[in-house]
Amino acid sequence: MNQPTSALKTSQESINGVTIVMPEGRLDFGAASEFQAVLEAALGSTPKPRGLIVDCSGLAYVSSAGLRSFLVGARSAKSAGAVFLVCSLSPSVREVFTVSGFSRLIEDFPDRTAALAKVG
Amino acid sequence: MLGVCKTVPGVVSELWGLNEYLQEFWVTQALPPAAVFPFELALEEVFMNVVMHGTTEHLIPEVAVGLDCQGGEVTLRMEDTGPAFNPDDAPPPDLDTPLEDRRIGGLGIHLLREMMDDFTYVHEDGRNKLRLSKRITLTDD
Repeated sequence: MNQPTSALKTSQESINGVTIVMPEGRLDFGAASEFQAVLEAALGSTPKPRGLIVDCSGLAYVSSAGLRSFLVGARSAKSAGAVFLVCSLSPSVREVFTVSGFSRLIEDFPDRTAALAKVG
Repeated sequence: MLGVCKTVPGVVSELWGLNEYLQEFWVTQALPPAAVFPFELALEEVFMNVVMHGTTEHLIPEVAVGLDCQGGEVTLRMEDTGPAFNPDDAPPPDLDTPLEDRRIGGLGIHLLREMMDDFTYVHEDGRNKLRLSKRITLTDD
């Protein structure tokens, strides 16, 4: 089968010391470790971000493997002293966050503006 | 197995093709696109469990996938020839446990139990047999 090298693209930007990572596509087992590396690289960059927001508006799909990369990112952020938030989850992705219990560990916001306001 | 059926070896690269097969079924049945999500999830979680925990040096399990849609209820059947894996034995996920210590399959199975209407497992004829079904709302969402 012709599986694309990765079904997930990521881009990022920085606003007032807050890094925003935007995954686009499918965060499945094949994309999870790469996505985790993107989050950890963003947290380890200089200067250190005050916060990391994952803007999920382009995220069509996430599995348990993908969820784990969020969890690792959230833990790395905590030890780096940065706020870790997610925003703009589609109804299906939000359901996965809720059912897995991750929504108790990672705060989510309806949009980027609300998430940025939370970081302050 | 009833309904449309596809059989593949339990190797990672086959998942992409199984997903295409699901997507084609969804389009053929004219089901609402957003409702495919839990079925995509089921394919990945169950298939990857077989690949990760059912494959040995001497055995690559065979995985059969069947799809059926009756009266607005979609049923996904997945059968494999790997070692018996009873999802009822998978503990509920413990988010405080370090990732390395996490028991096999807990989180994915938990998601499927919650997101599907029906989740049935039997082991017979040397095969793990899972049947997952969910009623689909046939309106745009």
